[in-house]
Amino acid sequence: MVSADGKWEAVIGLEVHCQVRTATKMFCGCANQYGAAPNTHVCPVCLGLPGSLPVPNEEAIRKTILTGLMLGCRIAPVARFDRKNYFYPDMPKNYQISQYEDPLCAGGSVGLDPFQFPKELQETEEAQARRKIRLVRIHLEEDVAKSFHFEERSGIDFNRAGTPLMEIVTEADLRTPGEAFAFLGSLRQILWAGGVSDADMEKGQLRCDVNVSVRPMGEAKFGTKVELKNLNSISGVRRALVHEIARQIAVVEKGGSLVQETRRWDDNAGATFTMRTKEQAHDYRYFPDPDLLPVRTDRGLQAAAKKSVPELPAAMQDRLVKDFGVTAYQASVLSCDRLLCGYYEKAAAKTKNKAAVANWILNDFLSTQPDPATTPVKPEYFAELADLVTTGKINSAQGKKVFAELVANPSSPHEIVKKLGLEQISDLGALMAMCEEAIAANPRSVEDYRAGKMNAINALKGFVMKKSQGKANPVQIDEILKQQLGA
Amino acid sequence: MSAPKLNVSDVATLARLALTKEETEKFTAQLGQVLAHMEALAKIPTENVPEVHPPDHPALRKDVPSPSLPVEIALSNAPAQANDLIVVPKIVE
Amino acid sequence: MSLAHETVASLRRRLAKKEIKSRDIVSDLLKEIDAREKTIHAYTQVDRESALKAADQADVSLPLGGIPIALKDNLNAIGDPCTCSSKILEGYKAPYDATAVARLRQAGAVFLGRTNMDEFAMGSSTENSALGVTRNPWDSSRIPGGSSGGSAAAVAGRIALAALGSDTGGSIRQPAALCGCVGLKPTYGRISRFGLVAFASSLDQIGPLTRTVEDSALLLSSLAGHDPRDNTTDPRSPETFLSKPMNSVKGLKVGLPKEYFIPGMDGETEKAVRAAADWFQKNGAEIKEVSLPLTPSAIAVYYILATAEASANLARFDGVRYGRRAADPRDVLDLYQRTREEGFGPEVKRRIILGTFVLSAGYTDAYYRKAQKVRGLIRQDFEKAFQGCDLLLTPTSPEPAFQLGERTQDPLKMYLADVFTISVNLAGTCGISLPCGFTKSNLPIGLQLIGPRFGEEKMLQAAHAYEQSHDFWKRMPSW
Repeated sequence: MVSADGKWEAVIGLEVHCQVRTATKMFCGCANQYGAAPNTHVCPVCLGLPGSLPVPNEEAIRKTILTGLMLGCRIAPVARFDRKNYFYPDMPKNYQISQYEDPLCAGGSVGLDPFQFPKELQETEEAQARRKIRLVRIHLEEDVAKSFHFEERSGIDFNRAGTPLMEIVTEADLRTPGEAFAFLGSLRQILWAGGVSDADMEKGQLRCDVNVSVRPMGEAKFGTKVELKNLNSISGVRRALVHEIARQIAVVEKGGSLVQETRRWDDNAGATFTMRTKEQAHDYRYFPDPDLLPVRTDRGLQAAAKKSVPELPAAMQDRLVKDFGVTAYQASVLSCDRLLCGYYEKAAAKTKNKAAVANWILNDFLSTQPDPATTPVKPEYFAELADLVTTGKINSAQGKKVFAELVANPSSPHEIVKKLGLEQISDLGALMAMCEEAIAANPRSVEDYRAGKMNAINALKGFVMKKSQGKANPVQIDEILKQQLGA
Repeated sequence: MSAPKLNVSDVATLARLALTKEETEKFTAQLGQVLAHMEALAKIPTENVPEVHPPDHPALRKDVPSPSLPVEIALSNAPAQANDLIVVPKIVE
Repeated sequence: MSLAHETVASLRRRLAKKEIKSRDIVSDLLKEIDAREKTIHAYTQVDRESALKAADQADVSLPLGGIPIALKDNLNAIGDPCTCSSKILEGYKAPYDATAVARLRQAGAVFLGRTNMDEFAMGSSTENSALGVTRNPWDSSRIPGGSSGGSAAAVAGRIALAALGSDTGGSIRQPAALCGCVGLKPTYGRISRFGLVAFASSLDQIGPLTRTVEDSALLLSSLAGHDPRDNTTDPRSPETFLSKPMNSVKGLKVGLPKEYFIPGMDGETEKAVRAAADWFQKNGAEIKEVSLPLTPSAIAVYYILATAEASANLARFDGVRYGRRAADPRDVLDLYQRTREEGFGPEVKRRIILGTFVLSAGYTDAYYRKAQKVRGLIRQDFEKAFQGCDLLLTPTSPEPAFQLGERTQDPLKMYLADVFTISVNLAGTCGISLPCGFTKSNLPIGLQLIGPRFGEEKMLQAAHAYEQSHDFWKRMPSW
């Protein structure tokens, strides 16, 4: 429900284009690499030279099937490629090889993860509802070249032309800009989990077009649909939707009518502008590409994809909370980063204090930006560290000192404690002696305490901590002092 | 299939051909004849056309890079280039 | 006798015996080219120096070592133009070899030059070339056929030993028939199309034009075979064709499709082709009448599917990345429209319009999808016919070579000339045209043998047996 007065409802569908992570392009052996010098990864096929022919990349197909499996889609036993015909300078053949009638995947859904909503919306009913957004289809196609615009000319770099692109189309199930924001974040988590794509919107690895209309609350019929393009970040999608929904409501409230059209979002201006109307829409003249054989997915491709279906973020989060006792928030952070999670699970395996380990890794270790795969800080060290503090061998302040040393000069915490001389003094006799000393040295505080000022004990505790160079167990000396003072 | 409504002008726009008036008229007449010849197809019953089954053999490419063209060669046929980009008039969205 | 008048097979034997050198062959051919190319105009380019150089370096131990071959101007060869006889590819130099070209290179062949064609292979007379017409070596006022007219005229005119062509609706077989040489269209998927400038992707095939069936088999053996760069090539292993010519047609079942012997067809053509059928029968083959009932719809099906595919295949010619670009374009739209308007000839434009139309919104079901379904039925027709026959025997062309200029204003009439060759492309099977007679005015008449998919060996055996029992293949145009 978007309009504050509850009169209007927004209906939103997304078309997400996602670059597939492969070594080579979709239909030729040129490297699929971001950021290379212009036109250094091109060949007759992806340049559209006369006589060139496409041959499909098996890995791109497998990864698309994997995505379909992760999202609960039906995988087509036979998939076909079609030509989508239109002229544009970033199109080497002036047709794009895509899929029309027989896409690789159909149906499926993406669950909205509450932690993928904007921070301020995460506690709302909307976020907590964990709605499932249905998909229409997922298909595979080739990306277009990149153009650079100058004053009077444009320059085209064909490195990107022909790289594999997955198109994921949702049903018009989304209802708010926040949900659209969460959809993209939740989808990205799953793509990362499968190793399918890096899905970085700033790098153009994830692109999103939006279809949005409004209708009176409770109305079943759809309103006039507007397509939005040029959305370059997940927050940009949200901003554009907020603006466009308001614009549409303003029009229909005044009794006006909307044009079915494509509008361009201008992030600087904070507004959408007409690009082309339905009449000017392309006639793509789809037909099956005669250069490509239909692809049978039931002769090994589906099986190969099934083998690499990972634990999905939602399932992983549940498991972490249940079996490891981490918070829901921590589970969501861990499920975003499979390497980190693997590291954590290794650490937590060595101790009962699994939640404490999570705190160390997420609160302290993570800010040092470690590479979990190569860091010399072994995961077991955190298990040791957590155990040392929980069993009282060191206190939490000392724990922090050990951690600092752990990062600077990685070795087992036990060794570090020895090296820094940090063993907490738990010897009852030694502690009692120090407490007696404290009492003897601070008669005023003793008087105040006996007079009823309970806080006066802190001066005595401070004396003991200083005397012990911080190694005294604060809980124990508190007990001992109270005993001795009471005597 | 009723009488085919071929509007050569509209189709030429789709195909990015700037036909002259004479060409448009000539093609309309000539292609009109060709399309009339094609009317007969409508009468052929095609409910039971056998499905061509896709072959079993996978004709897919392994995801292993092969050499690209050196950039000078890639651009050697470009009518206009600058800074290793292929140049065209300014593209307006 | 000039080496240019010999066959590839006989020259191979002489090269192996070291009787002659490759340079001798090239020199003799260049002499013939000097004498007659001006009239015939079969070539868009003759590579004198590079051919002689390559001849000197030729390795005659290879299957085609030292043999000069001409290439139709729609095959990419590194460093060469690839004009497709079109203005729009002016200036284009191929940065890669077509697989077929690479395989000939690997087999030791020497490239003599590039031959004229109908622009983008669209035509049946080579009159649609932007680089001038080619003339039939038997009668220079007549067409050589098309679209591989240059290749056929060169071979027949003894200014090439052998040439590659491409066949989408008959473009190898029909010019072979009209010029009196041998033209083979292999089964779809036999020879890689990688590097052949596409006209209609589901119909195009590369094939050889030669003096004899034996030469045709020689070239086919080097060209055929799976190519990972062409998804539509068949995976079966390479074969050597006609390695043991059997010279007998005893027991062969030869079908004569009744739809190919229609009333009103050219009398001399019918007579010569029926005489060929009689020869088969006299020599032990069984002749049966068969039916290919959908033959009358083949032209319509072809011109819908081929132009649809072509409209997409030719979209890449836009002046952006290669070829000619219109001068001083105002904007991108102007660049596209003017480049293509100025660069394409009228037949190409006509077919692009037709192809775009049959795919466009509202018409695609009635035209494109309907034609695909009928194509499936045509394929079925052939499969049924081959259940009872080894080969089909037909005329290649409904008539001998007509006059230059006679049909250029009547596209439909021009299209109807493809009626006997077109179905073979639609069904994807193999076909070969070879000389079976001459008209009173000394114009060649072509016989077409059609085999089932991947049935080239039997077809070549039968063609060879027929050819060697007759003298037609020895006859030369007079000059």
